[in-house]
Amino acid sequence: MEQFEQLLTCAICLDRYRNPKLLPCQHSFCMEPCMDGLVDYVRRQVKCPECRAEHRIPYNGVQGYPTNVTLQRFLELHIEITGELPDPTSGQTMKRCGVCSEKAYVTSCVHCEKDVCSDCKSAHMDILRREISRINNQVRRALHRLSDMLAGVEKNMLTLQNNCTSVSEEVDEIYRRLTKSLKDRTDHLRGEIDRYLTTELKNLCNLKENLEIEISNIQSNCDLADKHMQTDDVEWEDSELMDAKEIFLKTVEFIRNFETEIGDYSRRAKFIMAHDPNQLVNHVSNYGELTIQAPHQPFTASSNSLQAPSPGLMRSKSDHRLASQYRQEENSDISGRVSPLGGRKFGERYQSRYSRGDRNDYDVDSTHDSENRSSARSRIRSRLGRHGLNENTDSDTDSRSVRFAETNTVHREREKVLDTEDVAKGPLSGITRLYDSPRVMKRLIESENKDKKVDVAPKPQAPQPVQQPKRITPQQTPQRQLSEDDEIARIKRQNKTASTSSDTERRDRVSSIKREDSRDSNKSNTPLDNSRKTPVPEPLPVDTLETTESESEEDSVEVPVAEPRKATPARTTFPPSTSSTTDSRRSSTASDKLASKGNARLKSTRSESIESSGSSETPGTPVRRNAASAYPPEEVKQSPVSSSSGSTTPRARFSSVSSKRDSATPTNSRSYSVTGNSEGPSKKEEIEDEEEEEEETETSSESSDEESDEDSDDAKPKIPASKGMEKTDIGPLLARSAQARDNGSGGSNNSSRRPSQDESYTRSRYGTNGYKSPSSYQSPRESDTAASGSKYQNNSRTEPAPRFTSRFLKNKSIQEENPSKSSYSSDNKYTSDKGLSRSRTSANLEEDLQDDTNTSSYSPYSKTHYGSDLSRSRSSHTLKSRETSPDRPVTNSSAGTGEKDGAALSSWARYLKNKYGNRSKENAAKDNATAASASSSSTRRLSLGLPLRSNSTVVDSSDDDQKNMHSSPTSHTIIEAGMQGVGSTPRVQYLQKRQLLFKIGGRGSEPGYFTWPRGVAVGPDNLIVVADSSNHRIQVFDNCGRILKDFGSYGNSEGEFDCLAGVAVNRIGQYIIADRYNHRIQVLDPSGRFLRSFGSQGSSDGRFNYPWGITTDALGFIYVCDKENHRIQVFQSDGTFVGKFGSHGNKIGQLEHPHYIAVSNTNRVIVSDCNNHRIQIFDVNGRVISSFGSEGSENGQFKFPKGVAVDDQGYILVADSGNNRIQIFHPDSTFLRAFGCWGSGDGEFKGLEGIAVMSNGNILVCDRENHRVQVF
Amino acid sequence: MSVLPRRILKETQRLMQEPVPGISAKPDEGNARYFHVKVTGPEDSPFEGGLFKLELFLPEDYPMSAPKVRFITKIYHPNIDRLGRICLDILKDKWSPALQIRTVLLSIQALLSAPNPDDPLANDVAELWKVNEIEAIRNAKEWTRMYATEN
Repeated sequence: MEQFEQLLTCAICLDRYRNPKLLPCQHSFCMEPCMDGLVDYVRRQVKCPECRAEHRIPYNGVQGYPTNVTLQRFLELHIEITGELPDPTSGQTMKRCGVCSEKAYVTSCVHCEKDVCSDCKSAHMDILRREISRINNQVRRALHRLSDMLAGVEKNMLTLQNNCTSVSEEVDEIYRRLTKSLKDRTDHLRGEIDRYLTTELKNLCNLKENLEIEISNIQSNCDLADKHMQTDDVEWEDSELMDAKEIFLKTVEFIRNFETEIGDYSRRAKFIMAHDPNQLVNHVSNYGELTIQAPHQPFTASSNSLQAPSPGLMRSKSDHRLASQYRQEENSDISGRVSPLGGRKFGERYQSRYSRGDRNDYDVDSTHDSENRSSARSRIRSRLGRHGLNENTDSDTDSRSVRFAETNTVHREREKVLDTEDVAKGPLSGITRLYDSPRVMKRLIESENKDKKVDVAPKPQAPQPVQQPKRITPQQTPQRQLSEDDEIARIKRQNKTASTSSDTERRDRVSSIKREDSRDSNKSNTPLDNSRKTPVPEPLPVDTLETTESESEEDSVEVPVAEPRKATPARTTFPPSTSSTTDSRRSSTASDKLASKGNARLKSTRSESIESSGSSETPGTPVRRNAASAYPPEEVKQSPVSSSSGSTTPRARFSSVSSKRDSATPTNSRSYSVTGNSEGPSKKEEIEDEEEEEEETETSSESSDEESDEDSDDAKPKIPASKGMEKTDIGPLLARSAQARDNGSGGSNNSSRRPSQDESYTRSRYGTNGYKSPSSYQSPRESDTAASGSKYQNNSRTEPAPRFTSRFLKNKSIQEENPSKSSYSSDNKYTSDKGLSRSRTSANLEEDLQDDTNTSSYSPYSKTHYGSDLSRSRSSHTLKSRETSPDRPVTNSSAGTGEKDGAALSSWARYLKNKYGNRSKENAAKDNATAASASSSSTRRLSLGLPLRSNSTVVDSSDDDQKNMHSSPTSHTIIEAGMQGVGSTPRVQYLQKRQLLFKIGGRGSEPGYFTWPRGVAVGPDNLIVVADSSNHRIQVFDNCGRILKDFGSYGNSEGEFDCLAGVAVNRIGQYIIADRYNHRIQVLDPSGRFLRSFGSQGSSDGRFNYPWGITTDALGFIYVCDKENHRIQVFQSDGTFVGKFGSHGNKIGQLEHPHYIAVSNTNRVIVSDCNNHRIQIFDVNGRVISSFGSEGSENGQFKFPKGVAVDDQGYILVADSGNNRIQIFHPDSTFLRAFGCWGSGDGEFKGLEGIAVMSNGNILVCDRENHRVQVF
Repeated sequence: MSVLPRRILKETQRLMQEPVPGISAKPDEGNARYFHVKVTGPEDSPFEGGLFKLELFLPEDYPMSAPKVRFITKIYHPNIDRLGRICLDILKDKWSPALQIRTVLLSIQALLSAPNPDDPLANDVAELWKVNEIEAIRNAKEWTRMYATEN
């Protein structure tokens, strides 16, 4: 046998002959690759390896040699005898391998979709295995997320139950209280009426009796008189007759005069309700509402939070709803492609090429084959593009599964496997449980059997990793033992598998059937329906909601119950008709508790709708009734609109309730009537309206009631969703604004200034709105529209545009068109000074917002811009406004000519001018008459953002304004007030500077001492803020140099510093710190708590290389000297990169080691271009305005200038570090004076760093090597 | 380096399973195409008693080209030079794919038994072998004793 086999072995490949070719020397060799390799192509001959005979190659190559048929028969015979497997490659011809391009028997590789040789294929499979194990690791690592979620879900279940219980208890309590009070009151009223009835009845009875007596008496008298007194038959004495006559006269008089109260007894007792009964009922019926948080957020958030380790995992939608929806689609799809393998059976080849020699029944029908082929093609695409256009169903799952699917071709199996539909799958992800796949089972069993036979210990590794990745979802199917090797056991096991899988399948089917049931009964196969039903496999049985007919309409008290989730919007408008269908579902699923809750909820909605439809007079309900009628029961689920409105309604309604509770009720009736008229399609808007109305009425109680309801109605439909709380702030605010408006009418002749002011005001208000509610993007707009809807719009009520921007623009244009008081408003009350009143209003608005946010009163501008979260639209808007004023510096410099330029100035410049009260302003003040100055000052004050507001609740007159202004606590106002009086103070001051006022510190690390102080800044109330660089802390001193606090320590975490350099304090007292060696900017709140940081080392936008000086401008933009990047970077106060300017070099506009930076109130950005020994001044857009200084020690020359500061007059102070002196320049950059020299005495410096100027003109400078701060 | 051809695997397997008497060939751990070969000196030859180490390398196109074989142990043989290179026709033009490692090594063993001084590689040895075979054989024995004998 041995020899026989040897005879069948090719001498070259030492393998069994494959396609043996017979040489003329009678030696045979395989055609490929053996004979092929023998060919000497040059001589076109082949040399027999055995006998070395040389033969010409036939014309058509080695193929032309005859096949050794005898040998082939022997081969077949041998196969028959030994029963060994046929050579898998028999009958194939060799091709070039797609990977190594060697000639070999190739098979198609699913991995690379090429025909590859077995070697390459095994390499590929190795790769796949590695990939699988890698992904598996990722899965394992990420799996805890699911288990965490599971835990979370369990916890949620618990908390939800608790929550619902408590809520329902609460509701019960309320119900009890309400019923009790209702009952008490009813009893009381009944008693009252009974008592009243008895007493009245008694009185009336008495009266009746008396009257009867009287009547009978008189009657008898009359009869008597008739009978006996008219004739003489009776002898009457005259006295008797007199008496009789008197009696009759009296009777006549009595009859004439007697009047009993014959008033309308039908309406004697009236039942008057304190509130409109309808309203009351409405109140009661709406006495509570459930706010249920949007269900999707946690899931989407969590899905985002997962740093998806692989696309595959990422794609496994953690939003189980989506996933299950997909599944739904899959299920409903006729093609039945439920498996993530995309209809292909697990491990099945994509293309079958073995039609020959298949022992098993894998003679696949061609259609299947072609289908596979096409899907394989699509799979390529999906793998590459990640979203293939799959001609079948779910391209998503398909693409996701591709890789896994490929791996399973490791076990090439030709048996037709059972449909993977039978396999248990994750309910959320649709991920197959591999253990359930018959193929996998078989593979495992086989390999185990083999192991047993061979008696080799190690288990096959291949299938293991294959299975793991798919077991993402925890499954209930038990792990199967795979140990026995005999056939019976195997069969048994297979049976078992079948049973278990069918078990799971059965479960699956049960639920699906249920689903189908409900779907059928609901007669809605719409996606909405799907979405409602999809959560079935979830632990929370959402669709167990049902109703019992018995408990339905009689309950007028609404019993809202917290639902498990609000994911099913359809439920809020769940039609009564479905109750019967849902009943059937109840039996199958769901805990009773939840069911009952759902029940209650449904009932409530139903009772609500019934009630509302029943009581057509109820003003509060028409909208809801509309909704109900708009979505008749049958159609409810098919209408996506209903779902959305339905889902939002309860919350909105709740907010309305809360706001109603907050505010006094009197306004309600009015608002209701309004809303009754409104066309608003949803309840939400109605609430908005109500609130607006309330606000308006509140306002109108103080001012005149100007607003017609149409105003708000106009604004209504466009108002976005809101929370009630945010809006309630605006009510009182508007009231105050109304006051201010009244005041504003007092100011008269400011017409020349008005337009620009108004512009700036509107802008500021815009900003304020953005600032006011940083949490949500919507709310700013909302508050805005609320404000405008009620107040602002009735000034310009002709404007229909609800959006602020458009209105703003429009206003602006209007005002520009009508600088004088043209009547662009129908509100004739304010025609006297429209612009001013308007601006006042807005300013007051701001101020109130400030009050609300509980921050100290700085300029509204800075305020708004320092607001932590600027809404994008706002910031962009601001940017835009910044952009539009490139000429600002110019205009500003020319602003000194007088106030009449004001109209020509850009709004921005106007604002700045107003805010900081520059000289032109003072000139104007001098030039103008007192009245004018008063008004101008008042306008300016308004533009200051009402710091005065803090101590003035009522602004009655301009006199009061004046007073308030002067008594304002903020330094800015004080300064300006002071400067108004003394025009040229700074200059004089500066000229006098020489003497040290005081100094702070010395070397040390205790509080109050410094180690190389660098940056210095002035905070509110002239706080001195020093960046104590090498002590890695900020120290804060009062304006006399007494230490107040210090904070920060060494490190790189939040609130820690590493050799911080620059420091700045913005308008709301936040510290902005250039954390130099950490290459970041940190923002700390006024108490020193960390707020945020931004930046890291680097040279791209938003990154730093040793940030040094830092400052902020009036709008809160942060300017950073990015020293080693030789540039200035500008950020929003929230750290959003805005822009940069400067590059390394010594040309104009270039920088070399810019150290410090300051921004004037005219928004000139002054940079100490240290290594270029000059100061450069930019505008906010980074364009160079001027540059001065050169290296040297003369006046106006610098050696390594470092700190720069600019006062509110524009004077520039430079810490001329190399010359150890301070130089002061005029705003036009001409030299004013210099002082200081090297040394450690008073007024002497060693290595100057930051410089700052206080509002009173005191100069602070960090004397670095002396470790102190000197104040001049 | 691509995957080892099946033939090499087979040959290696066979070499390990059915070793040729007097010849052992083990593939290198790091390189399956490199074999550490030990050939005992054939009986009745001057190399009797010696154990000669060789290295054998299968080139990329093996078996279409001959393996490269070289003596590591010094040997006094007219067809083997001082560097251990072997002058053997089947390792050169007479190579045939039908030959195997085993046959090559057998041929080498045979070469030790029957030196062929007419086709010399080491000319001095061949000369001596031709002129004074006894002397040469004594040298060979001497070398074998010196270099090819353990301890």
